[in-house]
Amino acid sequence: MKAAVAAGSRQHRQRQIIGWVLFALVVALIPFLIADTYSPTIFGNRYTFGLGNLSQAIGMMVAILGLNIATGYSGQLSLGHSFFVGSGAYLTAVLVNEFHWSYLSTLGVVVPGLFVFGVLFGIPALRIQGLYLGLLTFAVAAVFPSIIRLDEVKDRTGGSNGLLIDSDLEAPTWAPLGTVTEWLHAIPGVGARVPDGLTGRQEEAVYKYFLLVIVALVCFWLVRNILVGRVGRALVAIRDNPLGAAANGVNLAAYKTLSFGISAAVGGVAGTMLAMHSGFVGPDEFGFSMAILLIVGLIVGGAGTLHGAVVGGLAIQFVPVWSSQTQTLPGTDVALEGPYGTAILGGLLIAIIFALPGGAAHGFRRIKARLMPVAPQPPGG
Amino acid sequence: MNGLTSLLGVFDISLDKLSNGELWLAQFFRGLSDGATYASVALALVMIYKSTGFINFAQGSLALLGVYLAYIFSVEQGLPVAVAVVCAMVASSAVAMFVERVFIRPFPPDHVLPLVIVTLGLLLIIDSAVGIVWGFRTRSLPSMFPSGAPIEWGIAQLTWRTIGNLGTVFAVVGLLYLLLSRTKVGLAFRAVSSNLESARLVGIRVGPTLGFGWALAAAIGTLGGALVVPDLLLEPSIMLRVLIFSLAAAALGGLDSLVGAVIGGLVVGLARNLLVTFLDLSELALATAVAVILVVLLVRPTGLFGSTTVERV
Repeated sequence: MKAAVAAGSRQHRQRQIIGWVLFALVVALIPFLIADTYSPTIFGNRYTFGLGNLSQAIGMMVAILGLNIATGYSGQLSLGHSFFVGSGAYLTAVLVNEFHWSYLSTLGVVVPGLFVFGVLFGIPALRIQGLYLGLLTFAVAAVFPSIIRLDEVKDRTGGSNGLLIDSDLEAPTWAPLGTVTEWLHAIPGVGARVPDGLTGRQEEAVYKYFLLVIVALVCFWLVRNILVGRVGRALVAIRDNPLGAAANGVNLAAYKTLSFGISAAVGGVAGTMLAMHSGFVGPDEFGFSMAILLIVGLIVGGAGTLHGAVVGGLAIQFVPVWSSQTQTLPGTDVALEGPYGTAILGGLLIAIIFALPGGAAHGFRRIKARLMPVAPQPPGG
Repeated sequence: MNGLTSLLGVFDISLDKLSNGELWLAQFFRGLSDGATYASVALALVMIYKSTGFINFAQGSLALLGVYLAYIFSVEQGLPVAVAVVCAMVASSAVAMFVERVFIRPFPPDHVLPLVIVTLGLLLIIDSAVGIVWGFRTRSLPSMFPSGAPIEWGIAQLTWRTIGNLGTVFAVVGLLYLLLSRTKVGLAFRAVSSNLESARLVGIRVGPTLGFGWALAAAIGTLGGALVVPDLLLEPSIMLRVLIFSLAAAALGGLDSLVGAVIGGLVVGLARNLLVTFLDLSELALATAVAVILVVLLVRPTGLFGSTTVERV
């Protein structure tokens, strides 16, 4: 066991900086490594992971981040967050297609629009608590696809067929993505994994990935700032002890509604990101199954933590992809067919609730505390 | 008159339709039939809620499993449908008892959130297991009741199936009532649902009693599924829609009232069929269920027949 480092000391600071630099390096290098899809063969199964999977996972992370505000932090069980994500995605799709906006500028409508929508949703939710709110939101999630298919809005939303979004996100000429790839390729050893230059499609994928990463980072940073301050403490107090919070002067109604508003706005951004990623929106994508997936991601990653949203987003994206590509049981010839990914996610959900109720983020934190202990700063020091 | 017609035009309502008595009656009968099926799944939800105080989101999945078992027993093994359904009810009860013992009982019963999450996990596992084992091909399960209609009036038919569905639901409620009020097991069950700690103190074995509640609920759910499926086709996602309507029914009737579940189911079934037909809202059928849930929870959270709980501060 190593000696504990005092929180806030120079050593601790250094360690944090090293951690962030490593994180930034990984985030920046991964797209070049898997721009040419990464296809490992494990136990006789061939897998193909593309950059697209990762970009989709980033969208899911932000969606879980939004859900986390209402459910993880302020403790209001929402099983219908896909509704907000879907609304954001469709809003973006319609604005881009019909008014020829750019993707990012649609955020100017999506964020305030969904915030208001979330607040309007949060007001009736004030009177409905706990389980009943879960019941209602569960039903709301199931309704989203049929609203999209309504005759009155079919011309706009494309009905069951979904909506192909016109605009292409092409990498601007000033972005030196191709040059960077060539540099990386020139590095001996590791460089062999990086392709020698990018094709047009690959360049577009890498550019989209970086755009999504930036949007996600901004979201996480803003949400973190909201949550570490007065608002965050109020929300956690409401979750842990509503009566106590009210007695301490927290305006329950205002904060609960606010949490739904922020939560919906972040969900809307996630919808925009998913629309950016795939260039297509379809009604069933944002139905009930996504709502459940988001809850799985939230719990598996760790409710009430920001890291949890990252882990959860990766889990709900890659577990289904991985299992749908697993043709035979590893090491044997037994063929696997069917929705194993969903079954595994369900099992994972239950296993996490049993073994690690704080989620993966909590587990990491415990391991980290064991390996690199940090002593809290003494009061007044 | 002119004003009325234009008002109706907004909702796409034609006066021909509204003045068509046969259509009203036909939709009324269909509503009763649908309502009976919603009521039966709602009864299962109410049983779990009464005993444990939470909503089992996996209830539809347990029913789905039961219906597939009934399909295996009847179509593949050649048993008469009614016998197959009873066998499936027994089998799904066994599964539910196992699930309760392994996944539910380890958690403290007063912490609702983890339990709800576990039932969501079970929903994912059971639904996809059904998809893995039986695939996504649609199948048809014969009805337990003879075809044909004893009462016909133009297009309005009161079929044997509707009568059978209604009769089954009323029989189930009657039997449940007798079971809960006249037997020792029922007494234990009521004691546990009213006050878990005191029940334990007077020597009631709480765990097995709750397991019994789960088994009973799964059996009722399976029976409900067996009533639903002949109208639709059997495929893995079928119970999800039924679950939403049944949740609406249970919320309307009051989550802890058996009679409420039946009346709620019938009202939701009727409302659904009448609204869809006369307002042309076929895509909004699910949304009407959600609207019912929302209005009930806002206006009268205990539902029509539910009991109010007073929280001590």
